[in-house]
Amino acid sequence: MTDTIIETRGLVRRFSGFTAVDGVNLKIARNSVHALIGPNGAGKTTVFNLISKFLAPSEGQILFNGRDITRTKPAEVARQGMVRSFQISAIFGRMTVAENLRIALQRPTGLSMNFLRGDTVLAGLDGRVDELLDAVGMLDWRDRPAAGLPYGRKRALEFATTLALDPELMLLDEPMAGLGTEDIERITALIAGEAQRRTILMVEHNLSVVAELADRITVLARGNMLAEGNYADISADEAVIEAYIGGDID
Amino acid sequence: MTELLGIPPVLLFGQLLIGLINGLFYALMSMGVAIIFGMLRIGNFVHGAQYMLGAFGAWFLISLPDLFPGLGLPSLGYWWALVLVPPAVAVIGALMERVFIRRVYNLEHAYGLLLTVGMAFVIEGLFNVKFGAAGQQYGVPDLLKGGVNLGFMFLPIYRIWVIVAALVVCFGTWAVIERTRLGAYLRAATENPDLVRTFGINVPRMLMLTYAFGVGLAGLTGVMAAPIYQVSPQMGQSIIITIFAVVVIGGMGSIMGAIVSGIGLGVIEGLTKVFWPEASSTAIFICMALVLILRPQGLFGKETSAHSGADITIARRESILENGRIWIPVLAIGGLLLPYLVYPVFAMKILCFALFACAYNLIFGYVGLLAFGHAAFFGASAYGTAHLASVWGWSPEASLLGGVVLATGLGALFGWLAIRRQGLYFAMITLALAQVLVFYAVQANWTHGEDGIQSVPRGMLFGVFDLNDMMTMYFFVLAVFLIGFAFIYRLLRSPFGQVLRAIRDNEARATSLGYSTERFKLIAFTLSALLAGVAGGVKALVFQIASLADLHFMTSADALLMTLIGGVGTILGPVVGAAIVVTLQREFAEFGAWVIVVQGAAFVLCVLFLRQGVVGTLENWLGRRAERAREAGLSRRDPAE
Repeated sequence: MTDTIIETRGLVRRFSGFTAVDGVNLKIARNSVHALIGPNGAGKTTVFNLISKFLAPSEGQILFNGRDITRTKPAEVARQGMVRSFQISAIFGRMTVAENLRIALQRPTGLSMNFLRGDTVLAGLDGRVDELLDAVGMLDWRDRPAAGLPYGRKRALEFATTLALDPELMLLDEPMAGLGTEDIERITALIAGEAQRRTILMVEHNLSVVAELADRITVLARGNMLAEGNYADISADEAVIEAYIGGDID
Repeated sequence: MTELLGIPPVLLFGQLLIGLINGLFYALMSMGVAIIFGMLRIGNFVHGAQYMLGAFGAWFLISLPDLFPGLGLPSLGYWWALVLVPPAVAVIGALMERVFIRRVYNLEHAYGLLLTVGMAFVIEGLFNVKFGAAGQQYGVPDLLKGGVNLGFMFLPIYRIWVIVAALVVCFGTWAVIERTRLGAYLRAATENPDLVRTFGINVPRMLMLTYAFGVGLAGLTGVMAAPIYQVSPQMGQSIIITIFAVVVIGGMGSIMGAIVSGIGLGVIEGLTKVFWPEASSTAIFICMALVLILRPQGLFGKETSAHSGADITIARRESILENGRIWIPVLAIGGLLLPYLVYPVFAMKILCFALFACAYNLIFGYVGLLAFGHAAFFGASAYGTAHLASVWGWSPEASLLGGVVLATGLGALFGWLAIRRQGLYFAMITLALAQVLVFYAVQANWTHGEDGIQSVPRGMLFGVFDLNDMMTMYFFVLAVFLIGFAFIYRLLRSPFGQVLRAIRDNEARATSLGYSTERFKLIAFTLSALLAGVAGGVKALVFQIASLADLHFMTSADALLMTLIGGVGTILGPVVGAAIVVTLQREFAEFGAWVIVVQGAAFVLCVLFLRQGVVGTLENWLGRRAERAREAGLSRRDPAE
């Protein structure tokens, strides 16, 4: 096993004439928290979608644990251990909180194609459901429909659902977007806790969160990599400061 | 006379000419459908009926003295029709938009399609009532009579005129949309209506005018087609399915795409008539299948962002009406009593269609895919079962099994092709694929064309039960229905069913959790085809006939209407809907063509006023009542909260 979990080589993505990502070479170190930051329109989310395979690159290559996944389907990379979250909270609104987690836990069981047995065959997963809910402090919400949760709780549920798959690499797309201070603290603590066990790549606007969590930061601007380093390096970098002037530095 | 490729030039060029003219009509029509779809996100199924209105408009004008004798009205000929009819049809279109279509813009696209299906039924049904199925003749205008002898073929002047006029209209429309400011607004509004609204443009009016324009094109096509084809109430229904296929092939990317693929496909169809006549009616659909395999987004289409599953109202899962433990026994007891209350044959018809609608509900209600050609599976199994039982002399259970295997295989194939596209495209593709089977059944020997397979023997079930006995047959049908119903109920609560729910809710998230969502959808589609096949095969045994009606689009529409009336996505809805629709059909049978009008009106009314269906509405009412009771209970116990 290499120390690099994800590597992109010359990643390019064009949208009918507009180049959103223009030759990005990223290396994400195993068991690190790596943040992608940059002003609006820098191409962060596009890079993120390319890595998680939700978008196909126009050019370039993506390696996951040294394997080429440039042409792999998103569900397949998820099964290989790379699970992403979404900018707008991605939950299954018509299912209960517990069912949301169970649908994730169910996947590795190999029972998902079974349409002749009742879902009682999944009862064995309930213990793990409760553990995960406990971990994000949502045990009391267990049987509520997910759609009715407050926003912060939805994000926590989404995080727990991602965790349920025990991914080697967790991709978090703006995990703090739309959250109040209290929720930010809670989610930050959750991410920090998980950072011990897995690699986390996140896109995040909230720079104080980035400062607290990230081991390494890549700054993107206009689809290019502007700078890379730890928070101290980045915040001293003149090109970065330039790119952010008038931008949305918090 | 010399021959080209062993084909007499008269035949070759004659068919090429017919192909070119058909192609131009396809181009004009699919342009209208593409513009309407692009701007309004409405799959304008009523486009065929509007085309028919154009042709009838021309016929009305020329027949004014005969239609209204005594009023002294003049007979207005072709040129008057060309000037008056398209705007008149456009005005009718504008009214339809204003009164009906506008109400469904904010709903899931499926409803727009269903609404226009309903309107098409009403219009075509009314014309059928008034004029019967027979066509009216419309003469070629004097000025354009005669032709030119090119030596190798005779070229009628009217056809030259159609080619020139249609090309001018096609490229004129293209120029307006791609090259003018107005067109730029239209294209912008297609991309982002809210943004265009902030420019101070009256978007609702623009949508209405766009719809009217698209409909006007259909009216114009109708006028131009009147001297070539028979003017009949059915003329629109046969063309609309082809048009949908053309649109799928061309893709939504550009107006030019609609023009080029329309003309190209017409010519391909014409050439097929020369070289392989049997395949000519299916040529366009085969092209569609090839395009879907090689270039799913269509020849000129851009890659469109994934469209999530149809957001049709969903049942309250916790409702007592969704509890199979209660309802399976209730249905069993009801089923046992039914043949003593109504005519057993009638009861069997209800059960067959109830199972068919349940199968349809599985894919439409629970997976959210607007399948539009489920008659293919119902009919294929009916034909298969009938053939095995009557020609091969198989036992009823073996014949039925054979029919179901056929339906399931077709389901897997059609599903595999259609699953590449989503939303309205999925509807258009399944509709077009089902149409291929209709053409096949018309031509193949073993299906006996218009006659169908008649006098199918019911035989001895398992060698023991004589199905010729009415009640034995009935209890067999009841057993099959209950097993099918229980199977669906079990499926919905299985691990597989959970994944389907997740995909319905948030497909992207399901993918990110590692579920290959298309595979799950394909399996669900195939299972739905399987159950539709069971229903169709049993129907063939009950009525001892397999006919074109089983494959016809109307049968797909029946399943849809049953599901819609009963309640999409509820377990009991399709059963209730089937009972209602089959009863209505019987009650209105004596009024002949009015049945279609009534069914069309039912579609329109359901889409506008009863989207949750009977069962869904009931569940909501019960649910709200329970919630109120709970809240009242809570506030009594704990006044502080």
